[in-house]
Amino acid sequence: MAVYTADDAVPEIRGWIQENVTGSREIPEDELLIEKGYLTSLQTVELVMFLEDRFGINVEDEEFSEENFGTIRAIAELVESKTE
Amino acid sequence: MYPEFTVHHLLHNAAERNPNKVAIVEGDAEYTYEDLARSTSALCAAFMEAGVQKGDRVGVYMEKSWEAVVAMLAASQAGAAFVNVNPLLKPPQVQYIAGDCDIRVLVGDSAKLDTLEPAMVGTAFYKGDEPSTSVAGSLRDVAEVLREGGDGHPERTVLETDLGTILYTSGSTGLPKGVATSQSNLVVGAQIVSTYLENTEDDRILSALPFSFDYGLNQLTTSIRVGATLILQHSRLPGDLLRGLRKHEATGLAGVPPLWALLLRSAKALEEQPLEHLRYITNSGGRIPQSNLEELRRLLPNTKIYLMYGLTEAFRSTYLPPEEIDRGTECIGKAIPNTEILVINKDGQEAAPGEVGELVHRGPTVAWGYWGKEEETRRAYRPHPFAPPELLIQEQVVYSGDLVQRDEKGYLYFVGREDNMIKTQGYRLSPEEVENLLVSTGVVREACAFGITDPDLGQQVVAVISLRDGDESSVDPVREYCVKNAPPYMVPKEIHVENELPKTPSGKIDRQTVRNAYADR
Repeated sequence: MAVYTADDAVPEIRGWIQENVTGSREIPEDELLIEKGYLTSLQTVELVMFLEDRFGINVEDEEFSEENFGTIRAIAELVESKTE
Repeated sequence: MYPEFTVHHLLHNAAERNPNKVAIVEGDAEYTYEDLARSTSALCAAFMEAGVQKGDRVGVYMEKSWEAVVAMLAASQAGAAFVNVNPLLKPPQVQYIAGDCDIRVLVGDSAKLDTLEPAMVGTAFYKGDEPSTSVAGSLRDVAEVLREGGDGHPERTVLETDLGTILYTSGSTGLPKGVATSQSNLVVGAQIVSTYLENTEDDRILSALPFSFDYGLNQLTTSIRVGATLILQHSRLPGDLLRGLRKHEATGLAGVPPLWALLLRSAKALEEQPLEHLRYITNSGGRIPQSNLEELRRLLPNTKIYLMYGLTEAFRSTYLPPEEIDRGTECIGKAIPNTEILVINKDGQEAAPGEVGELVHRGPTVAWGYWGKEEETRRAYRPHPFAPPELLIQEQVVYSGDLVQRDEKGYLYFVGREDNMIKTQGYRLSPEEVENLLVSTGVVREACAFGITDPDLGQQVVAVISLRDGDESSVDPVREYCVKNAPPYMVPKEIHVENELPKTPSGKIDRQTVRNAYADR
């Protein structure tokens, strides 16, 4: 399996969010995505499907939490931990 | 025991019956009914000190929390109406609501208060660090109020015919409208629902919906009425949802269609380890897809499934008992207890079985109209059509705008709506509100919004726009503006650009043509 670092994943995640949610606005890595109303729960599901496809990872049910998906940085770290 | 006339009577009864029972769970914190009664009294006294008079409106703009629960009950005890503002709303909507119903005292998360205009309200009670902006003339720390007060028991005379809350919903003029809901509407709603869900103090109800939504608020009032435990669930991501249900051994869960789609992501985990404590689930806020319903029945074989239908204008209207679930997801069941549902045809008469008519709700949960909106109120709230003319004080009923038909056995089936309302993610959204948002970007010349069917969301919002500057074709700035200035459910999933939108002979945008052109793509 390919190895991706969190820094590799950040632009991909940000790009998906821009394309599908926010338009041109760049969201800071530590901005709260769900609490600030950028992502709904269902959009997060779509994001997970994108990540699984793009990085060849499998996000388990119990990992699918606000702790792991709260910010772009947290998501990127999850991706890194799954491709190590 | 107190008679059950007001929301805070429900609390005081529960606290008297079983003071040490856990009332609210938030994260690792547990609060008993005694804690809830004491904190409510403390904040009630602080509201009075801040000048809250009987009949005033107190706003609550915060994430679902212990403090939000206390704020609602404290407002009730002070004889004021609480106004729950959906925490997903952005400053333009919050400011509109605060102005519309004249909110002078606001309880909020500091981070949210910071986004609002200076001097928007007289007094703000904040949770968290002191807000950096001057949203209010006077600021008070909620934590400090709750820590210091609460030994006294301030109470004003509050009647069941006092205003209890205002529930904001999307309006066809493009701005939200507030459904004025009495104390009696709230209490009767809790009595009716807890009766047919057979709630007892042994229930542990997972609260995953916002309190700004009548159906979400109902879990709180129901739970307090029977002295049960309410678990405040913040995240609806599948892993968190499942953890919440398991950790707290939840016995009841209320959801809207997208919530079930999220829960079903965990199908494998549910198969391996069923949710054996989950006694019932209820669905409202839109039709649940048949395939999701069947999957829920398979994965939750011992859980009763109630399909419900309600209008904010009359709180709750119908439910389908669990044993009738084979009737399919179009079926919305029969009237809730103490309620009559009329089906009125085009001639203003009761429709025959199988004939399509408008659902008209009659009963004690009929609310008091839209705050300050006479024309809309007259349209939805009308005199009971079949009351004897000798009854000179006319009973008001709600004309829902929903088309239904009744079968021979009296079961009601949803057919469609008369207007263009979009039903998305459990929210009822007016296309005009989306269009207003798009036009307010300044770069959009004309906009037409509508819903197209989506298996999980109910409908998803699609917009077709034309731009002021014809050379510019990117929708990115439009999308960016919408995300910043509106809650996520209001932001169109797709935005299409056309040079010009088709018009009707009278020069208005021809919705039907636009919608037809995009629905088939």
